[in-house]
Amino acid sequence: MKTKVKKTLYSLTGKLILTIGAMMIVGSITFWYFLIYYQERELLKNSVKYSLSFVDYVKKSTRYGMLTFQQLLIQQTVEAIGSAEGIMRVRIFDSKGKVAYSSKKEEIGTILGKNDPLCRSCHSESVKPRDMQSWSIRRDPEGYRILNIVQPIYNEPACYTSYCHVHPKEQRVLGLVESDVSLSLLDKAMKRQKIAITAFVFGFICLISVVLCTILWNLVSTPVSILTQGMERVAAGELDYTVRIDTRDEMGELARAFNAMTADLSKAKKELIEWGNTLEKKVEEKTEAIRKAHEQLIHSEKLASLGRMAAGVAHEINSPLTGIVTFGHLLLKKFPEGSQEREDIEVIIEQANRCSSIIKGLLGFARATSAEKSSANINDILNSSLNMVRHKADFFNIKIVLNLDESLPSIRADASQIQQVFLNMIINAADAMDGKGTLTLSTRKVVENGNPFAEIEFNDTGHGVSEENIPKLFEPFFTTKPVGKGTGLGLAVSHGIIQDHGGKIFVKSTLGEGTSFFVRLPFYEEKA
Amino acid sequence: MSKGRIIVIDDEDIVLISCQRALAPEGYDVRIVKSGMDGLKMLESEAFDLVLTDLKMPDIDGIEVLRIVKGKWPSVEVIIITGYQTVETAVKAMKLGAFDYIEKPFTPEQILSVVKNAIAHRASE
Ligand SMILES: Nc1ncnc2c1ncn2[C@@H]1O[C@H](COP(=O)(O)OP(=O)(O)O)[C@@H](O)[C@H]1O
Ligand SMILES: [Mg+2]
Repeated sequence: MKTKVKKTLYSLTGKLILTIGAMMIVGSITFWYFLIYYQERELLKNSVKYSLSFVDYVKKSTRYGMLTFQQLLIQQTVEAIGSAEGIMRVRIFDSKGKVAYSSKKEEIGTILGKNDPLCRSCHSESVKPRDMQSWSIRRDPEGYRILNIVQPIYNEPACYTSYCHVHPKEQRVLGLVESDVSLSLLDKAMKRQKIAITAFVFGFICLISVVLCTILWNLVSTPVSILTQGMERVAAGELDYTVRIDTRDEMGELARAFNAMTADLSKAKKELIEWGNTLEKKVEEKTEAIRKAHEQLIHSEKLASLGRMAAGVAHEINSPLTGIVTFGHLLLKKFPEGSQEREDIEVIIEQANRCSSIIKGLLGFARATSAEKSSANINDILNSSLNMVRHKADFFNIKIVLNLDESLPSIRADASQIQQVFLNMIINAADAMDGKGTLTLSTRKVVENGNPFAEIEFNDTGHGVSEENIPKLFEPFFTTKPVGKGTGLGLAVSHGIIQDHGGKIFVKSTLGEGTSFFVRLPFYEEKA
Repeated sequence: MSKGRIIVIDDEDIVLISCQRALAPEGYDVRIVKSGMDGLKMLESEAFDLVLTDLKMPDIDGIEVLRIVKGKWPSVEVIIITGYQTVETAVKAMKLGAFDYIEKPFTPEQILSVVKNAIAHRASE
């Protein structure tokens, strides 16, 4: 509670209210003070004026009495005048300071010395007495003011020429008229007025304060606390939070700017998150691509070293094989047809030839990496490959369907190597169909990752490949064919050749229904 | 009278013996040497109709032998024996004047037919 008050005092609203309030109080008090001060002065001025004319009136009323020296008449006049309301006392002094007439009879005859407070105003330290009317104020026992008026009575021809001859001609001041006028009515009125004005000013201050507080509260404090709350929510991560201040003033503008800022922030954050996500995906894609490239590199490395080894082995093995084959044949002639020995020797020769064909297969790897590529027509290569096998007995019962895209642009390839690949595919298909079925050869244009390729599909209706064997197909020496028939090198070499051409080879197969091998090769591009 | 004088150059004994055993019974006069150098020496001292040479040998390789033989005795035929035939080397050998080439391993019949063709070709020149 205490801290809340303190907080309010230090807040902008608190400061504004304090400042404006203080200014208003100071202003009101000043206003109040000057109002009262001037009113009082004005009223006093008027009272003095009226009192003076009243004393003048006393003088004039007694003039006749004076001139005719009718002392009783003068006394009666003074008494009559003195009994008027608000007139406390009327006295006439002679030049010696003796009370000649008074509204209070008992005072007649008393002499006031020059030190009497009444006389000091004129007869002060100055040698010559000041002969002018004067006034002073004192207070009665109740605290109300009493205005004391003194007016000298000057000598004039009528006085010194009158028959009584009381006053010589040389005398300038003959006496004084003095009167006490009560200002109690005025003071009472003033007091009431002061209370009224004070009450009014106080009420005004209270009213203005309330109005001011309300206005400031609505214009400053409430929007500021709404904004603060909004900022806290946004800082806590609630980026779609908007503050609602619809005024057209600076606070409304601030709120709109704040909302625009949060919207921007939210958008930026969204973009960042999206970017992060795509980045992750991109990194994954790149990692996958690198992994694949690495695998391929290892694969082609494997094939290349296999090729190098095959070249060496081929040279070393082919010479002893020559010996085996030659001497086998020489020996063959020594035995009659149909003899057991002859059959045995034929097995030796056959196995030696098998060794030779394995080596030839291996040599494919050595050749796969040293190809000379030029512009070649894929359909032509396919047709010439077909023509090489068509007349063979294995193909007599196989229906061959051609589905060639004649508009296919030429590819960049070593035609003899590509022919080796195609022959491999065709012979594999015939083997899979066991001599009867349909072989469909198609060529078409495809686009992969934005790059165009020529695609060749070898589709057969053979026994298919089991799922577990699919990843092994392109490994060297993987074969499901009986010993002597397959070497397991055809697809491995084909893979090496296609890879060296910047293409790819892959397979789709359903066990028992058939197989499709796909070869993709890049198109020929004129070098700039 | 022999059907022709043949010199076989190869660093492998088994290939030399195989050629000799395949060709000699058919009436050819066959000499065998184990290196290109020895082969050229023998060619200097004796006359031959046909040279059979291996491509890959330690001192002088088959292409070099072919070049020298064709330079000195243009009428002598040369047949290249190759352990692992490639189109490029075969084409190169033919361009340099080789009559033919034969792949290892070969049967007696195969080598005989190539040799017969070569001798017949030399006779017709
Ligand atoms: N069209 C096909 N249909 C079914 N299986 C196939 C087909 N082509 C290849 N294969 C399988 O792939 C193996 C490897 O083929 P390949 O590398 O050409 O060697 P090989 O033909 O000597 O066996 C084959 O033994 C066979 O099991
Ligand atoms: Mg195969």
